[in-house]
Amino acid sequence: MHQSFLTHANKRYLWVGLILLLGALIAYFWHDPIGPPNGGTWLGYTLGSIGALLIFWLMAFGIRKRTYSNRVGSLRGWLSAHVYLGTALLLVALLHTGFQFGWNLHTLAFTLMTLVIFSGFFGVFAYLRYPNLMTRNRDNATRAAMLDEIYELDQNALALADGIDPKIHAIVLRSIERTRLGGGVWSLVAARDDSDSALAGARKMLEARDKKGGQPLTGEPQTKDMPTMFAMVDFLAGKADDRQAEALRKLIDILSRKKSLATRVARDIQFQSLMELWLYFHVPLSFALLAALTGHILVVFFYW
Amino acid sequence: MRWLIRRVIKKGKGSVSYEEDVHFGDVLTIGRGSDQAIFIPDLRVALDHAKVTALGNGQYKIESLILAGIRVNNDITYATTVGPGAIVEIGTTRIQLLEPPVDHDAGVEVSTIDKAELKALKDAKALPTSLAQTWLSKRRPSWIVFTLVALLFVGLPLAAHFTPTFRKVLHDIPGVPSQDQWQAGDLAPAHHYFGSECTTCHQVPFRWVKDEACAKCHAGTPAHADPVKFNLPQLGDARCAHCHRDHNGPNGLVIQDQVLCADCHHDLKARTKNASALVDVGDFAAQHPEFQIDLPAWDANGNFKPVRTLLSQPGIKEASGLKYPHDVHLDPKGIKSPNGNRILTCDSCHKPEPGGARIMPVDYETMCQECHRLDFDVLEPGRQVPHGKIAEILYMLDEFYSKRALEGGYMDLQAPIVVQQRRRPGQAMSREETIEAQTWAREKSRKVGDALFNGRACTVCHTVTAGTGGADTWRIAPVRVQGEWFSKAHFTHAKHKSEMTCESCHPATASKAATDLLMPGIENCRQCHGGENDAGKVPSTCISCHGYHESDKLLLQVAAPALAPPPSAAPPSATAPAPAATPTATPASQP
Repeated sequence: MHQSFLTHANKRYLWVGLILLLGALIAYFWHDPIGPPNGGTWLGYTLGSIGALLIFWLMAFGIRKRTYSNRVGSLRGWLSAHVYLGTALLLVALLHTGFQFGWNLHTLAFTLMTLVIFSGFFGVFAYLRYPNLMTRNRDNATRAAMLDEIYELDQNALALADGIDPKIHAIVLRSIERTRLGGGVWSLVAARDDSDSALAGARKMLEARDKKGGQPLTGEPQTKDMPTMFAMVDFLAGKADDRQAEALRKLIDILSRKKSLATRVARDIQFQSLMELWLYFHVPLSFALLAALTGHILVVFFYW
Repeated sequence: MRWLIRRVIKKGKGSVSYEEDVHFGDVLTIGRGSDQAIFIPDLRVALDHAKVTALGNGQYKIESLILAGIRVNNDITYATTVGPGAIVEIGTTRIQLLEPPVDHDAGVEVSTIDKAELKALKDAKALPTSLAQTWLSKRRPSWIVFTLVALLFVGLPLAAHFTPTFRKVLHDIPGVPSQDQWQAGDLAPAHHYFGSECTTCHQVPFRWVKDEACAKCHAGTPAHADPVKFNLPQLGDARCAHCHRDHNGPNGLVIQDQVLCADCHHDLKARTKNASALVDVGDFAAQHPEFQIDLPAWDANGNFKPVRTLLSQPGIKEASGLKYPHDVHLDPKGIKSPNGNRILTCDSCHKPEPGGARIMPVDYETMCQECHRLDFDVLEPGRQVPHGKIAEILYMLDEFYSKRALEGGYMDLQAPIVVQQRRRPGQAMSREETIEAQTWAREKSRKVGDALFNGRACTVCHTVTAGTGGADTWRIAPVRVQGEWFSKAHFTHAKHKSEMTCESCHPATASKAATDLLMPGIENCRQCHGGENDAGKVPSTCISCHGYHESDKLLLQVAAPALAPPPSAAPPSATAPAPAATPTATPASQP
């Protein structure tokens, strides 16, 4: 059975994190330093050292991740420890500060660390949520298979449209040109596929035509974002004979299937993008933190 | 118009052959329909897909006849005018417009895009389907923010540290990180005025702040302890900055925590093998001995030598040297005075010092004399002897009565006739008369003196004893009313002037004798003052009342050598180096 990085090795690293967290808390409340609690007491230096070592180690995860030949623990184990110890770091560092904050390099380091950790929390959330959604959305297919099927459907639709009327053919051709999967960052994240969204409405109008016994339809509300289907239905309403109507119905079925596939592919891309998006903040911020932390340590001893 | 249509036919292994055709007409039609000038059997092509019109001069107008448009030079368009060399792509067919060939008015070259090229084209046109394919990146922003933070928050201040002029420039530009961004916390208010000059204290990078840096300004600050009594280097870290840690906010520089004292002042007897006479101290509310006062006392030579006395000691009496019933004087109905009824209050006699800390001494002339007059002669009730000057009083009496005896006219019936007799100016006295008058005067002066010292005046308030004779005539017991009672603690009366009255601490109205000790004990203070962490009372730590091993004669004048010589080698001196003290476990003669 699949095991999550959260439950890796009987949640070993959850316990390690909890013990670290509890130890830090107990030490903080037991410690009665001379003067206010701060990073310069012996406990402050201890917590600071633990925190700094943790940060360096947490950042080493980026190296471990791409070192495929590494045999020091499984990658899942590393990720599990990365998540739990990274969470514990939040409190270790907070206690290290002794709740002294200001507009300075030291608080900058703390703030960056907090941002990194919270972006990591979103990462945990994403890794728990989106793989499931992706599996469900793909419905046993792969993205490549879906794209292949879309290509096939496009070809079928063109052949079918050609048999109906040159005008319909041109319309389908345009629809194919317009179907765009992927694009800029926003298109990826917002799941825009630009495929025709008028299918449901078109089908409704086709049904309405059948009820009226093949008479032209008038007075139906039209919206701007369904040009392909409108053109078809206009055609249908006007001059189509029954053979053409049958072919058109088939065409609409094909396009519906394509539409749903395109939507699924777009969602697949969206889920994958959302799952990866946080890393584009997590990683650069962690490097900003590395600079601030190095500066923090340097300054503390520079002005000892 | 004559068109040249050249078809490119690819024949494996890269060899190519051409097939040329001529078309007549202004317009060249392109489509899947069999009537088209360029016939393309591809489902992605409409029956009437597009038309090209030759405009002459090598210019062509391309128009799409369908809604989907047509791809010209890689752009979808509906109608456009292009020159020779333009490429139109429809499905897998590529049509290139040519410079009109010889004998023709226009020309096109039709070729098929091969599979490899098609795939490359498709890949080039493909939109990104994952974030990694977009402009988003991790590596480049990582480098940018790393460098930015390092430069702005480490590089700039570091440069400022080594170049004072740059430091000033940097500091004056708002919004730019300067050395201020290195400050780990707010400085103590007293240090703000040089706060941006980090090197005032941090003189050498990667070295602790040295005492010399502190002593630059604090030469006149009292030192904490006598290095002879306390060998600080043996006791621990004796640097000023070990305890006085700045960058901890407005109150962080002077440590208030009682643990500073309590971590040494516990188990003193055991730890010093009974060498220490001090009592263990912890929390003011829970573990603090009863107060000790400086009880007034005098040694055999009459020098004031107060005795440290526990307030809990039974039967403790104050020896102020005065006789004074507080209850009589503080009668709320008032007391009779020569000038009528007078209601006295505490501050009639006990005036606070201008600073408000202590009480000024009682002044006889302004506070007592109105009632307790020092007149001595019924015939001249306005005359009084001076207060407190024994020899002067006796001399004054001698002079007074000699003058009366010699001038005569002193109407005391018990005096000799010669003294009572009024004499005319210039009238001489006989030798016998002179002797008689002087004898009387001497006798009278002695009697009046006796009466003053031993009878009605001095003894009302003072204890008077006869001297051994000669110059030693009378002895008045020494008096000490106001003074320092709690010499090891700081107490300010003015700070306690809220709803408290004098009576809250000093039960004077019930006191019938001056020997009643009216100093309050610790329980009195504990009514309002609690320990360090008391939530319901005034939280009071050790240094709320006590100084930290304060020395009253040593100053920080010379910065202490980090390691002072051992006590035997350091002669006591008023200017001896006195580094900041750390809590000590050695016997301390003073807490």
